[in-house]
Amino acid sequence: MEETVLLVIVLLLPLTASLVVTQVNPYHALVMRGVLGTIAALIYALFGAADVALTEALVGTMLSITLYAIAVRSSLSMRLGVLEGSPVLDASTLAARQLLQRIRQGLQPQHMRLELAAYANAELLLAALRDREVHSILLEPGDETADYRLVTRVPRLQTLLAQQTLVCEVMAP
Amino acid sequence: MNLLLFLLTLTLCLPLYAAWLKEDIWKTMLAFASLATKTSILILVVSVLRDDWMIGIVGVLMLSVGNAALMLLAHVIKRLEML
Repeated sequence: MEETVLLVIVLLLPLTASLVVTQVNPYHALVMRGVLGTIAALIYALFGAADVALTEALVGTMLSITLYAIAVRSSLSMRLGVLEGSPVLDASTLAARQLLQRIRQGLQPQHMRLELAAYANAELLLAALRDREVHSILLEPGDETADYRLVTRVPRLQTLLAQQTLVCEVMAP
Repeated sequence: MNLLLFLLTLTLCLPLYAAWLKEDIWKTMLAFASLATKTSILILVVSVLRDDWMIGIVGVLMLSVGNAALMLLAHVIKRLEML
């Protein structure tokens, strides 16, 4: 009887492993990795390997998924530089709100976040783009254009945002 | 006693099913929390049955540290939604 129970628990391991592999969202995959680590620690403990179970629970489940969550959070984001006092920062005008929503919709299929960074004047904004502090900058509607202008240095971002019919200029390196 | 183990294993499958549904990230986290506690309880039951305190200590540590790790991960995901 105990062998049957053990067999059922061991079968849960490939089941959860396939769940990890089939996840699309990176954060869901991380939580499923935690589930896999917990089941693995249970199996190790049941087979009498207390030290291996403890290591799997502490390192495999606790440390690795927390570090990976921070790594994914930092890397899967688009930094957009805007001018200080711009309505985009607090989404106060309708045009700004719609623009932010369209950018977020464009980034969502890739599970990316939008991160805003404020700069004091236009020169600092352009310098930030040139120095690779931000991925894109947003220029306020001025005398020449009545609409916001998006300038990026990453061609892939232009492709992603073009799906939301957002016009994005690519700055030459 | 074997029946108890079997029932515990059966309840282990419930949060797994909840995690498989792939809805909200918080529901998946909830399933993870439930599963982490259930596995620790299962380890504790087995340690009492086998009278093996080495496994028992692992169960206790997983129960206490596992919850702390869950809180840490929940905070990271919560900050993510605030940004």
